[in-house]
Amino acid sequence: MLAYYTQLAFRSFRRNPGLSALMVLAIALGIAVCVMTLTVYHAMSGNPIWWKSERLYSVTMDNWDPNNPYHEQPNLPPPELTYQDARHLFGSTIPQRKVIMFSTSGDISAAATTPARPARTRFTTADFFAMFEVPFLYGGAWSARADDPPQPLIVLSREENEKLFGGLNSVGRTVRWNDHEFRVSGVLDDWFPRPRYYDLNGGHFQEPDSVYLPFAWGIAHEQLNDEEADCWRPEVINSYPDYLASDCVWLQMWVELPDASSRARMQAFIDGYWAEQRKGGRFERPRNNRLTTVGQWLRDREVVDNDNRLLVGLGFAFLAVCLINTVGLLLAKFLNGAAITGVRRALGASRRQVFIQHLIEVGVLSLLGAALGLGLAALGLAAIHHLYAAAHLFHRGGYQELMHFDPIGVAWALALAVLATLAAGLYPAWRVGRLPPAVYLKSQ
Amino acid sequence: MSLNVRPILSALLRNRTGAVLVAMQIALALAVLVNALYIVVQRVEKMQRSTGIDVDNVIVVATSGLNDRYDSVAATRVDLDYLRGVDGVVAASAIGGIPLSDGGNAEPLVTTPDGNRADSYNSFEFDEAALDALGVHLVEGRNFRHDEIQPPLTKEDAARPIAQIIITRALGERLFPGQDPLGKVVYDSLKRPSTIIGVVDPMLGAFVNSPHPDWVYLKPRAPTTFIAGVNYFVRTRPGARDGVMRVIEEHLNQTNPDRVIHWVRPLSYFKNLSYLWDRAMSIYLLTVTALVIGVSTLGIFALATFNVSTRTKQIGTRRAVGARRRDIVRYFLIENGLITSAGVLVGCALALATGYWLSLHYALPRLNLYYLVGGVLALWGIGQLAAWQPARRAAAVSPAVATRTV
Repeated sequence: MLAYYTQLAFRSFRRNPGLSALMVLAIALGIAVCVMTLTVYHAMSGNPIWWKSERLYSVTMDNWDPNNPYHEQPNLPPPELTYQDARHLFGSTIPQRKVIMFSTSGDISAAATTPARPARTRFTTADFFAMFEVPFLYGGAWSARADDPPQPLIVLSREENEKLFGGLNSVGRTVRWNDHEFRVSGVLDDWFPRPRYYDLNGGHFQEPDSVYLPFAWGIAHEQLNDEEADCWRPEVINSYPDYLASDCVWLQMWVELPDASSRARMQAFIDGYWAEQRKGGRFERPRNNRLTTVGQWLRDREVVDNDNRLLVGLGFAFLAVCLINTVGLLLAKFLNGAAITGVRRALGASRRQVFIQHLIEVGVLSLLGAALGLGLAALGLAAIHHLYAAAHLFHRGGYQELMHFDPIGVAWALALAVLATLAAGLYPAWRVGRLPPAVYLKSQ
Repeated sequence: MSLNVRPILSALLRNRTGAVLVAMQIALALAVLVNALYIVVQRVEKMQRSTGIDVDNVIVVATSGLNDRYDSVAATRVDLDYLRGVDGVVAASAIGGIPLSDGGNAEPLVTTPDGNRADSYNSFEFDEAALDALGVHLVEGRNFRHDEIQPPLTKEDAARPIAQIIITRALGERLFPGQDPLGKVVYDSLKRPSTIIGVVDPMLGAFVNSPHPDWVYLKPRAPTTFIAGVNYFVRTRPGARDGVMRVIEEHLNQTNPDRVIHWVRPLSYFKNLSYLWDRAMSIYLLTVTALVIGVSTLGIFALATFNVSTRTKQIGTRRAVGARRRDIVRYFLIENGLITSAGVLVGCALALATGYWLSLHYALPRLNLYYLVGGVLALWGIGQLAAWQPARRAAAVSPAVATRTV
């Protein structure tokens, strides 16, 4: 029966090829625009480490000005910690893994005699790699013992290793960072978490850093973060120790807490520290010590910006226009074929059969539309990609990685579109089944 | 001439599904068209507003020290002397921060020593040649003098007071509404005074995507090297930029082994990067709007065609009893006009509701009503155009059809 109805559907398309093509085109355009916006939206708001979403927490405390909240939303604490707070909280043994870090820029060369090139640098602690599941190509992370006292060890990104050593296994070799010697402990494989959730400074879709060095080494050598310092207290900062002791926030802290009880203990630990500090005159704002999951973190930091949601809204408005169009055209087409339907009804086809037959016609149309729509979406995404690539604005990273077709998102959009088209076809199919056959037989 | 709307209306009401669908499409199309165009126009205005800077002829060179032998003041002097001598260069200067780059420094300024900590304003470290290197116009007061330019900050001396500053006219209006800011005194977060010695206008700072990118002030100081590197700004004669870029990049890379050249880029690179999202958004909105209009037009056309083909017999009958061709054309155009009007009416409400919602959530000004009027007229025109060809076909139906079956 299905095969026969499908055959009928194709015969019906041949009867009005223009109208049928228009319907397929309308469905295809609706689907294409929707898939495109959803792909961009998904890529730009996705949680790149969703499988750890209930274990990873950003640690923040509100040490800000009692009269002026940090954010426009006054309930949000600053996204980073002061050195003194981060240092103390890092001493806790409750988290399974813990990281404090900042990023800066440095100059790197393979040897003292070769010219140095600038490299994005992150000073971090040993757990960084295991906690954020960073893949290694060669070697591995430095051990927690190398954090304190700090050993001159370095981890290179795959790209940096290609530049310095032509992609060879460089573990154990030395490189010079800002004229200091470091031994390579590991080389990363390709790794592009988007958005770069663990450090959203300087743009949400920044590339990961090129080199990684032990946090304590950076402190011992008086390294500064290269983002502007975020300070509020009118205090004179004349030296690096002044900066470390100040209320300026500049360090990111993340902890991995495997279960609810460790989470509760960590929260209690932070609150206890907060109360103690408050007695000493700090933390004048209401208590606001947070352990934030990655998903909430991305929402708090407004990684999905308004424009993006506007685009999705527009995408769906467009799909709606296309589907309404399709209903109208289907109705016209089915009523146009009412005479034939009248004959079928007179020959004994039940209303239900007529309904199903027309619904299958709608299904075939929507599948054709979906196939064409996917093609159009691929073209559209390639065009967006081209738009950015042509501007030479991002070499690697940025929108290039953003344009990965997301199979699950596309499957959802397709299923949605086919279902929506079928739903749109329900009324015309029902309507044509209700037509009295006699009227159409008379004038034949 | 009577339009004979009554019979057309009652015919429409007897068979309303198709008409309702077309009206719905028109309503959605109007809401999308009006609001999308409104957003696009605002984006375009944002991208086209005056920066006050000679963006197309300015080159930025990012440098920093490689080791302890690097002396930023000496290196900058040598490099700037070289840059000023290059053929095609109008002016060169070292500036802390990059205008239009969407990233930079902001510090609070207040008008009384005990004033509450107010908003932070975007600041740059300038020397006496910097205004010329950017092509920014001083409209009041004077430029910095060479002896006023402070040496760069060091880690040991990170909070030196500044005696003179130059501000934008917009920041002057913000700090001293309705007064001439020249000669007034402002205070930093440590309550230390600076006198306003000059006013520039216009000039956009770094944060072009913020609500007030023109709230900017300039400090007479060589770029602080321990936070970021030193940026050289080179203004060239029109058309000379690309050639100068190649020449200076090669030369600078070969001199001073203690100093790294990170990159040499036109300032327009940063402007494009900062406005990238606005441009992408405008293109997307325009494309989707065009598609919405296109799909709706095709839908109107297809339904009108269908209506004509199902009514062939009735049209023939009307022709046989004396209706002229243009009466038939007029019938279908009026019918289309009625449907469009209904759609446009609903569409106005939808467009206004969407506009109101957007103004609440996206900090857009409320929808300008001219757009709505324009959108209504446009859709009426599109509706009539789409119905024109089917109406002509209807008029071509021969009266003899009435005598035949189907």
